[in-house]
Amino acid sequence: MLGTAIQQLLDGITLGLVYVLLAAGLSVIFGVMNVINFAHGELAVLGAYLAVALTIQTGIGSTAFVAALVIAPFLVGIIGVALERYTVQPLYGRNPLYHILLTFGLVLVINDLVYLIWGTGSFRLPRPGVLTGTIGAFGLGISSYNVFMIVSGTLMAFAVWALLEYTKYGLIIRAGSQDRQMVRNLGIEIDRYYSLVFGVGAGLAAFAGIILAGNRQANPELGMSIIIPAFVIVVLGGLGSFKGAVVGGLLVGILQESILRPWVPWLEGMVIFVLMIAILLIRPHGLFGTELAEEGGSERLLAGRAGGLLERETRLKLGLVMIGVLALVPIVAGLLGNQFWVTFGSRVLVWALFALSLDFVMGYTGLVSLGHALFLGLGAYAVVLGLIHVTSSVFVALALAIALSAAIAWIVGFLSIRVAGVYFAMITLAFAELYYNLLYRLEITGGSEGLGLIGHDYYYGIAGVGASLDDVAFFVGPVVLTGHSLFYYVVLGALVASYFVTRRMLQSPFGSVLKSIRENEERATFLGYNTIVYKRRAFVVSGAFAGLAGGLFALNNAFVSPSAAEWLKSGEVIVMVILGGMGTLYGPIIGAGAFFGLEQLLTHYTGRWRLVLGTIFVLFVIFLPRGLVSVPTMLAPYLPGGPGPAADPGQLPEEAKTEGDD
Amino acid sequence: MATETRARNQRTDGEAILELDGLTKTFGAFAAIDDVSMTVERGEFRSVIGPNGAGKTTLFNLISGALPVTEGTVYFDGEEITDRSPPERVARGIGRSFQISNVFGGLSVRENIRLAAQADRRSEYNLLESFFKPTNRYEEINAETGRILERIDLTHVAEEEADALAYGDRRRLEIGVVLATDPDLVLFDEPTAGMSVEETRETIDLIEEVLVDQTLLLIEHDIELVMELSDRITVLNRGEILAEGTPEEIAENRDVQDAYLGGMTE
Repeated sequence: MLGTAIQQLLDGITLGLVYVLLAAGLSVIFGVMNVINFAHGELAVLGAYLAVALTIQTGIGSTAFVAALVIAPFLVGIIGVALERYTVQPLYGRNPLYHILLTFGLVLVINDLVYLIWGTGSFRLPRPGVLTGTIGAFGLGISSYNVFMIVSGTLMAFAVWALLEYTKYGLIIRAGSQDRQMVRNLGIEIDRYYSLVFGVGAGLAAFAGIILAGNRQANPELGMSIIIPAFVIVVLGGLGSFKGAVVGGLLVGILQESILRPWVPWLEGMVIFVLMIAILLIRPHGLFGTELAEEGGSERLLAGRAGGLLERETRLKLGLVMIGVLALVPIVAGLLGNQFWVTFGSRVLVWALFALSLDFVMGYTGLVSLGHALFLGLGAYAVVLGLIHVTSSVFVALALAIALSAAIAWIVGFLSIRVAGVYFAMITLAFAELYYNLLYRLEITGGSEGLGLIGHDYYYGIAGVGASLDDVAFFVGPVVLTGHSLFYYVVLGALVASYFVTRRMLQSPFGSVLKSIRENEERATFLGYNTIVYKRRAFVVSGAFAGLAGGLFALNNAFVSPSAAEWLKSGEVIVMVILGGMGTLYGPIIGAGAFFGLEQLLTHYTGRWRLVLGTIFVLFVIFLPRGLVSVPTMLAPYLPGGPGPAADPGQLPEEAKTEGDD
Repeated sequence: MATETRARNQRTDGEAILELDGLTKTFGAFAAIDDVSMTVERGEFRSVIGPNGAGKTTLFNLISGALPVTEGTVYFDGEEITDRSPPERVARGIGRSFQISNVFGGLSVRENIRLAAQADRRSEYNLLESFFKPTNRYEEINAETGRILERIDLTHVAEEEADALAYGDRRRLEIGVVLATDPDLVLFDEPTAGMSVEETRETIDLIEEVLVDQTLLLIEHDIELVMELSDRITVLNRGEILAEGTPEEIAENRDVQDAYLGGMTE
């Protein structure tokens, strides 16, 4: 009994040390540069794969193992330096949330690179003979590799600590994470140390990845699964605190491996998120972090730069033409006998609605929700569960989805809108992950299997009046519109209606306050607006529309699984909003179209289309943060006969000004 | 100059608009504001002066609600507002001006003013209207916006973006925004920082002209200007009130001369 407990404790410490090494880099990078590096997990994976490649090249012996352990982190360190210099650096001076977006793009890129080079299989790092046995102690057989992990991990953590504590570089870095400006005032060019910090952090992550890959099966998805606990640890210990990373890492490692997994497996994967939310709410600066003034938070997010090119009426007509073209899709598809474009179109439109909902809160109030998939998932499950257990009216089920998402958004907003910027992003991520894990555990949600709607009768209508889409058919010339084609119109109708409702809201006093918050929140407060209340309302509106999108998402697939709420979905919808141009209601719609258009185009050539998408996204974040909608305005000065540069930085002019009614 | 001061003095009716009682703000062991009590009368032009680090801005932050007080009470218009949030204080009539760049740069001049007027007239619409009724259909608010634009003489550039305004016009806009919140008391924290002598003069004249009916509380470094304009002056030093009185009394005060004015009067 005791033996097992000790074994479990050792397992916890082993994993904890891997987390420590990961979180230490993540935390110091944040402390010094204010960069939240989502790609940190991918760097660890990259390290592991490089190490495998090296050991296979040089033979599987102790020397090769040690060589891999030294060379691979060094290589990843160099990659880290390059990433800092060429992608992170251009973004200093912008809102720190852009770094989250950038590094999310890097996740897509690195992850697909790993797939591309090393394939999809999982592997275990070949261990030298010395480390394969067990060591007998206290009547227990302890794996010698675990001992190696604990010893090497501890030594590495000590080395980092000594570096921070006793060297000149360490002093500057520590000072920098306290007060960057002060360090600059002392005449030290702290910016030059950024590459170093990023490189060392990357190297540490690689080291952690390597030793972990010798302990358990590793695959390209490893990065995605370790980055989230690493974030929890950084938040727990305090953003920017090395000590916090050590304590937090061990705590989470032991909690996960030694307590939850063996004793209360049901709670595994949820407790840490509850912990993270609690810490963020009670003590946002973590256990050991110092209270930092939200630095750089005053820089605005860059909204889409639209308008200026076309007259209001022209734009309105263009919009109507677009709706007309979209309405023709099922008919043309029917004529061509190719239903693919109908299902594809439905998917794009559902995501367009989801992106629109995120933009309403991100583009207009500057709140970046990293967990918007929470509402997509809520809406999706609400509709499916509603249709199975409560009602057979799709409209009622969708109303349930909207109401539930709005209610949860109010609660999440009530709890978390007080914490601004990066903390808000983290807390929304935690809520989404909590929900995601809960979906696996609950019986009613069908666990990892999900729930299907096949075999359940439902109709489009209310109070028994209505019909199933499959039972209705419209004849347009030679084309029969039924089933999926009609569903396409349901989605299109929902999107167009949502667009006009949100547009109307932005013309109202409520919307005008949102715009003022985006411009300058402090000023809005001292005009007498309780900006927290307005932001919460925007979040609720956003949650409601995301819930609607989620409901349609589930109806489109006639099925729902926990992946509806995974964090990758939250990331992807942010990508769409940025691609299109945030802070314009049609930008995200264009962004969703571009995203899936690109996917469609690229999957013809490569299965690893995210590599290209990620690269494009990274380039967008660096060079075109205002998105596709701002391209015409940017090009205008160079076009013959075009108007000069538009003077409008970012808001829809016709919505900001209060002209006559339509 | 004396006549101008006299003119303001006549409007004070002895009624206190702002009262601070034993106000204290500590950061750790450091008392930025230490047991400050003062009374400002309605219609008064009060300046707060003091060396750097005396706690002037902290005092303003306590009055406007930007910082929570550690101890003591703030009364406004006879009501205690110590625990009120900044928006609630604005609603009660405490306006705050920022430095000139602090307007909604990406919004039109009209929208800047309209937002302030809208904040002041929230009782004119309900929740549903606030979500769905377009802003151009609120007649009262738009009329008020028009009046203020006239008053600050910016009607001709009303549809332009605030960022595109010339420096002087931007200054007018900032003061117009404060006016549109319909304040009884306006806090000005160094409204003329970084300005030339003429610009400073113009700005002060504009404040005097546009906010003639308001009680003004001003932090200002230009002592000459303060002496000339103020009805009364409060001198802060190390978080405490060193002296308070009319410009003449302050000029003659030994303590003030020693601590602060010394270098200038000698």
